[in-house]
Amino acid sequence: MLLELLSRKYPGFRAWLAQRFTGLIVAIYSVVLVVRLMCVQPNSFETWQSVFQPWWMRVVSILFWLSLSMHAWLGIRDVLKDYVPNTEVRGVAIKVVIILLWACLVWAVWLFTASFY
Amino acid sequence: MPNKHKLKNRPKNLNLLTIRLPINALVSILHRATGCVLFLVLPLILITLQLSLSSAEHYQTIVNLMHSPLIKLVLIGLAWAFFHHFFAGLRHLAMDVHWMTTLMKARYTSKIVLILGIFATLIFAIALWF
Repeated sequence: MLLELLSRKYPGFRAWLAQRFTGLIVAIYSVVLVVRLMCVQPNSFETWQSVFQPWWMRVVSILFWLSLSMHAWLGIRDVLKDYVPNTEVRGVAIKVVIILLWACLVWAVWLFTASFY
Repeated sequence: MPNKHKLKNRPKNLNLLTIRLPINALVSILHRATGCVLFLVLPLILITLQLSLSSAEHYQTIVNLMHSPLIKLVLIGLAWAFFHHFFAGLRHLAMDVHWMTTLMKARYTSKIVLILGIFATLIFAIALWF
């Protein structure tokens, strides 16, 4: 039954679970980032760069932004479904949100793989 | 078949000021509102991150900006939005695995979430201002 719930037959359950799972990843990354900032204590340009420089920090940052995009998408979609009853207006709003989140995701991946730091 | 006339005469209450929000509802709607705010500042976070990492001059510009009291206030507001969303989200996760689901327990955890959010924001504000 549990595995069946994960199948395509139950998109609502998949969305519900994805919302929780991505939320958990975003929360864990937030804690990791705060701990890292407390360890490095950046007080100059060089130390600030060194916070995001290690390869593992880049990898988890990209994973974080992937989760964040998914989490924000599911959350904003629910909000639009609740408060925008006009389906045409909502369709446009949802498209705008999708474009914005994709743009941010591409930007974030580019930023976390950039070689200027 | 419902009576159309009756449906039209159902009482409506659109005066939000007369609705007394229970604490659980307050935490819930704030979770939603803060989520929307955090979504809207995503591009701002990215541009700040990019500028501060790209060159020493831009880094200094960002640091100088953060000295302005107005920016500090905005940052404290955003920090509260983040902390509230964070703690309210953890509360949701706890309830999903059936912790703290009775009404009294839910009210108790709602209070804890509100207090933790404000407490974390206070620590952030002190660290930012001094």
